[in-house]
Amino acid sequence: MAERVILSIGTKKGMFVAEAAKTRRKFELRGPFGQGVPVYSALTDTRNSPNIFFSSCNPFFGMKVMRSTDLGKTFKETKSAPAFPKEDGRALANIWSIETGAAKKELLAGVEPASLFRSRDNGDTWEMVEGISNHEHARKWQPGNGGLCMHTIIRDGSRVHLGISTGGHYMSEDGGETFHASNSGVGAGFNPDPYPEFGQCVHKIARHDDAPGRLYMQNHGGWGEWDGPGGRRPDIGVLRSDDHGKTWHSIAKGLPSDFGFPIVVHPHDPDVVYVMPLEGMTRTCPGGAPAVWRSETAGGTWHKLNKGLPRKSSYFTVQRDGMDVDTLKSPALYFGTTTGQLWMGREGGEEWECVFDSLPPIHCVKATVV
Amino acid sequence: MDVVNPTPSITVRYPGTLREYVRGVSKLQVAATDVRSALDLLERDHPELYRNICDETGKVRQHLNVFVNSEHVRELSGLDTKLAPGDVLTILPAVSGG
Repeated sequence: MAERVILSIGTKKGMFVAEAAKTRRKFELRGPFGQGVPVYSALTDTRNSPNIFFSSCNPFFGMKVMRSTDLGKTFKETKSAPAFPKEDGRALANIWSIETGAAKKELLAGVEPASLFRSRDNGDTWEMVEGISNHEHARKWQPGNGGLCMHTIIRDGSRVHLGISTGGHYMSEDGGETFHASNSGVGAGFNPDPYPEFGQCVHKIARHDDAPGRLYMQNHGGWGEWDGPGGRRPDIGVLRSDDHGKTWHSIAKGLPSDFGFPIVVHPHDPDVVYVMPLEGMTRTCPGGAPAVWRSETAGGTWHKLNKGLPRKSSYFTVQRDGMDVDTLKSPALYFGTTTGQLWMGREGGEEWECVFDSLPPIHCVKATVV
Repeated sequence: MDVVNPTPSITVRYPGTLREYVRGVSKLQVAATDVRSALDLLERDHPELYRNICDETGKVRQHLNVFVNSEHVRELSGLDTKLAPGDVLTILPAVSGG
């Protein structure tokens, strides 16, 4: 079968799947799936024949994990969803990330309240990962505006990186058995100590296999004008690590705002990174004019990409998993908005077009080539 | 078949969307003396249905309402509300959303 682009679009009212030929001229939309309830995470697992997963955050009947084996034409609930042990005292409030694990049928899920779960059977049964879920810091983490969520899971050999809002960046160097906070250089604007050991409001972390040791982070910025206790904390919002997340430094200079949610790396060039700056107070597009910003120098300089995007009167938010890039030779970037628009930027974001303009508010977008 | 359990006393009714967790039946009958023990029996005998009604801590999910006959249990004695043979325990989604 010729290559197809699959977009998994999680919205406030269920899951949509859009499919197109690699020309990406026309996307066929399927859905909504999942009883019209919020979807915050999705995964297309291409390790074997493709499976699409999404989390269904049912406010009435609890969390479900849904699975499709036919590229999103139909979905069925897996046999169970992550759940805390009864004696734990915590109850699952949301599933914020689903990622592939190390073994063939292994999946990982980051949830709210911030904890990590592992499935060894393609999502049918789940076990809590004690090393982070019962970490000595776990009961001290505080919920951010979106809840106390574990939203980022990145595997890199025996290393596992986790992003928690608000908990910060945690890493494992033993395959996910034990974890430690690793936030040197990661600032927090809402804490008397601007650089605490943990408790930062990390929004998203990204990496590329071709740049060992390098990580990019969109942190909770927007503290450049802060005049309260602790003083101004400019440029803490966009960061890079070159030592596997042990230390971090700012790469925010040149951006119109260091606040934002998603951060995405080009599939073929680890020096190319994308962010979507938002105004810190409103969490909307600066000046009502949305733009993706691209650095081709790993954050050294930034360039605005807005050809085809509205130039005024657009005050949407792009959430932490609302932007992704496909892996075709000339990749397209995608972002979904809280106003229900799905935008596609051809040639790595050079030229934008609105693919769908009236979906429900979009929480996550995942692009996969199958 | 629409009714299971050979020694019924309390009828449990729930939304149609939950029938898939109990092989399609529209109601169950349990031998329980209060609401809490009725839920305990659901947990034991119908764990997939129970997970939709109560969270891991055993609390009834926030956006569900539980009625004994036509009375909400919060107006009675909550989960300790006594049940008599023939009572109907009804579980319904709250009117909420957006």
